[in-house]
Amino acid sequence: MRATDNQGSFLNRISIRRNQVVSMDGNHEQELQDLELFQKQVADRFSDLLSSSSEDGADALLSVSWLRKLVDVFLCCDADFKAVLVVGRDPSQISKPPLDRLVPEYLDRVVKALDVCNAVSHGVEAVRHYQKLAEIAVSAFEQRPIFDGQVRRAKKALNSLMLTLEEQEGSNLKSAERTWSFGRRTANITDRALPGRVHSLSWNMAKGWSAAKQIQAMSANLVMPRGAESSGLASPVYIMSTVMVFVMWALVAAIPCQERNGLPTYFPWPRQQGWAQSMVALQEKISEEWKKKREKPRLAGLLEETQRLERLGQSLIEFAESFQFPTGAEGFEEVVAQVAELAETCKKMEEGLVPLQQQIREVFHTLVRSRTEILHVLDQGGKVSAPPM
Amino acid sequence: MEPPPEDCRIPLDAAEKIILAWDSTACEEARDRMIFESDPQEVDRYLQAVDEIQRSLSSTSLDSQSGNKVNATIKIAMARLEDEFRNILFTHTSPFETDSFTSITVDPSSSVHSSSSSSFNSATPRSPSAELGDLVDDHFGGGDLEDASRRSSYRSTSSIREIDLVPSDAIFDLRSIADRMISAGYLRECIQVYGGVRKPAIDASFRRLGIEKLSIGDIQRLEWEQLETKIRRWIRAAKLCVRVLFASEKKLCEQIFEEMGTSVDDTCFLETVKGPAFRLFSFAEAISKSRRSPEKLFKTLDLHDGLMNLIPDIDIVFESKSSESIRIQAAEILSRLAEAARGILSEFENAVLREPSRVPVPGGTIHPLTRYSGDPTTPDMEFAELEGKTPFALHLIWVIVILQFNLEGKSKHYKEAPLAHLFMMNNVHYIVQKVQGSPELREMIGDDYLKKLKGKLRQAATSYERASWMGVLHCLRDEGLSVSGSFSSGVSKTALRERFKQFNTMFEEVHRTQAAWLVPDVQVREELRISISEKLIPAYRSFLGRFRSHLESGRHSENCIKYSAEDLETAVLDFFEGNPVSQNMMRRRSH
Repeated sequence: MRATDNQGSFLNRISIRRNQVVSMDGNHEQELQDLELFQKQVADRFSDLLSSSSEDGADALLSVSWLRKLVDVFLCCDADFKAVLVVGRDPSQISKPPLDRLVPEYLDRVVKALDVCNAVSHGVEAVRHYQKLAEIAVSAFEQRPIFDGQVRRAKKALNSLMLTLEEQEGSNLKSAERTWSFGRRTANITDRALPGRVHSLSWNMAKGWSAAKQIQAMSANLVMPRGAESSGLASPVYIMSTVMVFVMWALVAAIPCQERNGLPTYFPWPRQQGWAQSMVALQEKISEEWKKKREKPRLAGLLEETQRLERLGQSLIEFAESFQFPTGAEGFEEVVAQVAELAETCKKMEEGLVPLQQQIREVFHTLVRSRTEILHVLDQGGKVSAPPM
Repeated sequence: MEPPPEDCRIPLDAAEKIILAWDSTACEEARDRMIFESDPQEVDRYLQAVDEIQRSLSSTSLDSQSGNKVNATIKIAMARLEDEFRNILFTHTSPFETDSFTSITVDPSSSVHSSSSSSFNSATPRSPSAELGDLVDDHFGGGDLEDASRRSSYRSTSSIREIDLVPSDAIFDLRSIADRMISAGYLRECIQVYGGVRKPAIDASFRRLGIEKLSIGDIQRLEWEQLETKIRRWIRAAKLCVRVLFASEKKLCEQIFEEMGTSVDDTCFLETVKGPAFRLFSFAEAISKSRRSPEKLFKTLDLHDGLMNLIPDIDIVFESKSSESIRIQAAEILSRLAEAARGILSEFENAVLREPSRVPVPGGTIHPLTRYSGDPTTPDMEFAELEGKTPFALHLIWVIVILQFNLEGKSKHYKEAPLAHLFMMNNVHYIVQKVQGSPELREMIGDDYLKKLKGKLRQAATSYERASWMGVLHCLRDEGLSVSGSFSSGVSKTALRERFKQFNTMFEEVHRTQAAWLVPDVQVREELRISISEKLIPAYRSFLGRFRSHLESGRHSENCIKYSAEDLETAVLDFFEGNPVSQNMMRRRSH
């Protein structure tokens, strides 16, 4: 209207435009404040995560309780992100460049994250399987007095556990031979009925699906906005994308997932940015752990409790192999302590794994909702002239 | 298990010997044979031996060497029993046989939820795997006769139907093993072993049923037509899974673990079935989350319906407290599907109401929105009760009303009134056709409303004719042609010539314009043309007949009378083809 209004004096037009500029600045400032707040919140939350995983922190890095906190952090960041991007937002702003490219890319990552959530959910079931095997050992070792039979029982369970932890994708015939107590004359054996073998992970996701590739795909095109772009909405989109990639990556590193060979260990994230510092520090710690494990082909994941199960399991197997009734006093106290630690770990798993699964389901639903909301806004702000097909 | 009478008890050392003899880690022979495949006496002896050792454990002093020995012996026995259990279960676990392609003869009475007492007397002479195989083959149907297979599938999977997966003698053996393992405190091992055999079996069944593992990314990438096929397949497979597969697994757990401790059967069942159930439902979940668009409405409703019909059975099969999460998941997905359907409908409604395009559809043909509003394809629709059947029908009518409203608004954008009417005609006719073509839609929308629509159609046709042809036909009127008010005094040649010229010009104009307009439906096109011809040709012929002679005697007669009635008839055939005609086409002359 104003553009076509040729009436009115020159002065009038000037003053009108000045008002426009002022109001624009006002909005702009508000927006800048919102963006800064978002960044700060991200920074704070990850800083908490970092400190809680430190030596004297409450939750060990990649433990069940830490993962649950991580997932919580993600849900909070997502809520904040929606507040920044969607709430009260003029839809046309999201359809303008560079957001017209960045937002669809973000939504694409969201869809990939949904699959990761499903894979991780299945993986938690596998971890529960480890827990159950360990619990057999615990209950055997806790019997008093400790008889040969119980020790052998525990050893059998722990051996199963070790085999399961070492399992490769696909069938592993060596493990087949070891866990059958005896051979069979008839050729009816398939590896399906073998004990101790984790119900194969590869059957849970689509054939050819790879967690590693999924994470790689999610982090593709993730480039920090520069220059003029960095002061607009492109920045929170980038930040949220990075947070999402990190969270999914951490979950995949911790929980056994289909095909993690090639999981990236480096991400070009801007460590100097305030919001990214803690996250990058965490990422580097996790990467280091991952690289250590890569020397031995382990698919069991970096979950702290799993690692504990493995360490204690090995030690207790050694004890079991040299055990003879009655128990000697030497070294036995250590064994008792280890069994207690194993029991404690199982308890943490028992208490934390199911809630973790539920939280991951919640992430799943939240991601779907976010996607729907953003799509809705995009539709509104999108082209109006063509009839919808 | 009742203890054997006193005189059948084996002395302790004999019992130990028996157990050690079957220790597969120590004895070569023990590895090659299975106890439970030997003769029944062997089995009995072994079990009695186990019982004896168990009994002695409670009476031995704990700290002694003999206590240790007993404990070790029990461990050996338990390891052996575990392997025996696994073997028995495995032997009777096989994926569905593919060679049983005979069509299923379903005994309707057996489709009732059977009680466990009948389990040991199952009269089916065929092996459970063959029976299940039949159901599966039936599920895929013989050839493409979807109806035939559907009918028999419905008969067999219309309610819970538990199949005895394992024959009763094997159940008996399994129970005797499980009982002893659990009493000895080896419950966990027992559960592990059970799950280890049954889980892969269910996986194999899933594969056989065509239940795919699709990632959400996969589902997004698929074309909707492909997804429709998968949805159809899923609905049938889900029925089989819940009502037969899962129900039978549950029954198996009950048969083996009944009365052996607090909800052991439940734990085993859940352990086995939780993952597969989750996988099964995640397909429906993914569909409910896919991007909404109008063509997905009816299949989404189908999926909703399919799942809704399953909910009561899901609630029965997964009735225990620990299976709560599965029930909750199914209920959640159901409401999401309803939400999705509602969302599609309301989004479409909004699109129809607000569709702001001001560019008229060229040639007045069918607007894309109209095409969308009535495109039901599946003949076997069962409509969901979103809030009840009738409100949905009303809603659909409402959408059509809005569509009409919008169409009318659009039609006003046409500069030429006749085109506007033609546009309305085309679109309303399309709707009428679609409604008439689908029995379900017709039933929902009702004949009354259909009549109203047809009335609108006729109205539009009449308006079109009036708008287009009034002017043209006006040229062929009698008034104004006579010199002094009556024909006896003669006809004004000038006026006559003017009239002919006018008629020619107007008709050419109409012809040129309306040949480029499009009426897609052949029948409507024909009817329109016939209607035009009926009004135009006789009027022209009569006009020609009456007044031609007045001009023929004079000069320039050829200038005025360009066309014969036959020319006009031919020209009318050009109308509504959607092909622009060149001016030259009308310059035919015949006498």
